[in-house]
Amino acid sequence: MKDIRKVYYPDIVAINNATFSLAEGEIHALAGENGAGKTTLMKILFGLEKADKGEIYFNSELINIHSPVDAMKRRIGMVHQHFMLLENLTIADNIVLGIEPKRKGLYDYKKACEITRELGTKFDMVIDPEKRISQLTVGLKQKVEIMKVLARDARIIILDEPTAVLTPQETKELFHQLMLLKKDNYTIIIITHKLREIKEICDRVTIMKAGNIVGTYDVDKISIDEISKKMVGYDFEVSKLKSNVKPGKIILDIKGLSLTIGGKKRLDNISFSIREKEILGVVGVEGNGQKELSQVLNGEIKNYDGDIVLDDFSLKGESILEIRKAGISYIPEDRMVDGANLNGSIYESAIVLKSKEKEYQNGIFLNGRKLEEFTDSLINDYGVKCNSKYDDVKSLSGGNIQKIVSAREIVDARRVLIANQPTRGIDIGAVMTLHEKLKSLQSQDKGILLISSDLKEIYDLAESVIVLYDGKVVARINNIKDVNEEQLGRYMLGIDVQENMGASL
Amino acid sequence: MKLKDRLVSYSKKRGFSFQTFFFESLKTIMAVLIAYLIAIIIILIVSDKPSESIYWFVVGPFSNMMEFGELIKKAIPLMFAGIAACVIVKANQFNLFTEGAFYVGGLVAALIAIYIKLPAVLAVIAALVGGGLVAAIFGYIPAKLKSSLNVNEFVSSIMLNFIVLWIGVYLISNVVIDDASGDTATQIIPEVSKLKILFSGTNISYGLLIVVGIVILVKIFFSKTLPGYEIKMTGDNENFAKYSGINVQRRVVMAQTLGIFIAGVGGATEILSNYHRFNWKTLPGYGFDGFMVTIIAKNKPLFVPLAALFIGYLRAGADLMAFNSDVAQEVVAIIQGVIILLIASERFFSSSFFKRLLDNYKERRDAQRMDVMKNE
Repeated sequence: MKDIRKVYYPDIVAINNATFSLAEGEIHALAGENGAGKTTLMKILFGLEKADKGEIYFNSELINIHSPVDAMKRRIGMVHQHFMLLENLTIADNIVLGIEPKRKGLYDYKKACEITRELGTKFDMVIDPEKRISQLTVGLKQKVEIMKVLARDARIIILDEPTAVLTPQETKELFHQLMLLKKDNYTIIIITHKLREIKEICDRVTIMKAGNIVGTYDVDKISIDEISKKMVGYDFEVSKLKSNVKPGKIILDIKGLSLTIGGKKRLDNISFSIREKEILGVVGVEGNGQKELSQVLNGEIKNYDGDIVLDDFSLKGESILEIRKAGISYIPEDRMVDGANLNGSIYESAIVLKSKEKEYQNGIFLNGRKLEEFTDSLINDYGVKCNSKYDDVKSLSGGNIQKIVSAREIVDARRVLIANQPTRGIDIGAVMTLHEKLKSLQSQDKGILLISSDLKEIYDLAESVIVLYDGKVVARINNIKDVNEEQLGRYMLGIDVQENMGASL
Repeated sequence: MKLKDRLVSYSKKRGFSFQTFFFESLKTIMAVLIAYLIAIIIILIVSDKPSESIYWFVVGPFSNMMEFGELIKKAIPLMFAGIAACVIVKANQFNLFTEGAFYVGGLVAALIAIYIKLPAVLAVIAALVGGGLVAAIFGYIPAKLKSSLNVNEFVSSIMLNFIVLWIGVYLISNVVIDDASGDTATQIIPEVSKLKILFSGTNISYGLLIVVGIVILVKIFFSKTLPGYEIKMTGDNENFAKYSGINVQRRVVMAQTLGIFIAGVGGATEILSNYHRFNWKTLPGYGFDGFMVTIIAKNKPLFVPLAALFIGYLRAGADLMAFNSDVAQEVVAIIQGVIILLIASERFFSSSFFKRLLDNYKERRDAQRMDVMKNE
């Protein structure tokens, strides 16, 4: 790809001038902060976006890619960050969708299953073709996506942040399979910002920054520190944040939470407490009760058993507003849908909590000047990149949107902050800002519940951690240094249960 | 030049892009032009004296003060209905009881004016507010059903329109009928309660001032008050509103009731301005028009009067053409339909098309400039 330029209407330059090359049979990482243009560049290669300028050469022949159909003709396939599977159909159905095997003009389901099984054995994946997608774990869904691409005969496979939703074990498995593909001379592009993964399996890495290519390097000849420096433009030191704060008295006490939805126990007798100045990590494979736990704690779900006690006051059955008034603030998992108003301005998403306070009102009117000052201070404190506070939220990158959501909630947290996946899928610069802010909140006698699937984040921030599996707390580690990632992974997958928790299982 | 720079820097600060605004306006103007072109083609086909017909259709509304006044008069209820729909759509609701509200508002205003004797200004205010309030009470029903039982307000509000229509027809043909009128109608509305003419020589009543006042209040409501802000957030993204502790149900009901109240006042204004008796036996249609107006206005309160004026102009011209030329009333209705369809669907026109045109132009201009500089 040569001299690619992409401008989004009206004047947002996504890719300024990018030249990118790929060698056959390699695993190539495309690294960079969010909003650097990685996904856009790959979408251009896959025909989902059209470049405003530039050329694409395939085996030194100039080609035009107008749509994914053209890309597939060149045997290029892409696995998106958000899966595009039909939930109600089986694995086999999904894999052959659009290229269905036919017998006497009718869909040959048996053949489809066969194809699926063949693909499975070829790449060391144990898979039941007749299972419905809705029954699969995230890791398996991703494998179905990859197999879908393989079934279409792709030789170049683009993976957009494949490990964002995987457990350490699943990641390992995926990497094993990618290595197998590589042995078969497939070419793989991984869009990522997890530096250790680049080191682990990639041959070369291309680093993008603000729409430009910084450079392409052999992974053997570049260190993690150097990559991160080139990505963000400043030094990124790992685990520097950990401070030595002594937790104080208990603020939030969760007592025997149980919740049943649709006959399935989503939460099963969960008890834990958060102390002042404590960051308590909650880990677990997605779908093991984290979502329900945060819904109960933020007041969205009220018909649970058990009790939530904040500073000796029960919050059982209180509304979202009452819980917020009591001093618990909440960073939702899905910033695009729940955290911010994408149809409005930054200002509108920033003031939603403050606007309710008397201090920010003038009689029946909102105090526009004060609210504007407040918004400006959030933008400045968190380094949100924008032209003005009246920019549309949807014109910002994911990291900048998350900065606004988190800033609003962190400022508002008077007792406890519940942060659900606060840094998922955002760039290192934004992650660092948010980690610092969470740490500074911790030093103010407040408690933080950090629900995260990024174990590195948990290790960087949390003092103690609980592990959820199948709606139960299967382990509580008071000092996170006492447990390694491997062991945490075993708890998360339900292989091990901490001894003193055995009674509750 | 300095002024331009300052404007640009100010607009940048407010997140306002002249370029975007320019393309958006261009789109609307193009839609209008194409629509009128199609209308003229239809007239050319059906009319024996096309030039005369087109004259009345396009220029007629501006031919004298009286006709221009007629245009404004037609636009006033459209402004009421438009701003009412705007409030409701801001909360992402589609409560079509604005239609019934016009009817109820007009009827109740007439009854208050006839049966409650009050001094001058008070009589008008009582009739207007009374009409609005009774409409709002009815409008509260589908709103509350939506928020409490999740009954689709679109369906329930349409049904409610017919309920209030037939209650009204029953009343004016049996209970409050004035036999002296020779019609199914109420008694004559006393002069003291009527809205007077604002500009002599036209039919424009004080209703214009009322609706402009309401538009400004709605604008302030949405940009400067907490309930207005929360309604907008709820309409934009209900999840976001809910998780931020906004009482979504309450805001949804509030927006609908408020919009219906405005529509009720609109019906009252219409009756007190232009009618001697209340004699509506069908729904007036303004409520539905209101949603069209607010769509054309991109749901921005301050654009609602402009959109209403445009529809008013279209209708005034169509009426003049039907009256003065050989184009049949039905053809006029077809032309109206075509124009409105095109305007309302202007989103079909992609902005990037115009942008590319402009970019091409700029490139060529820059190239020319370069040539000139080289030659120098």
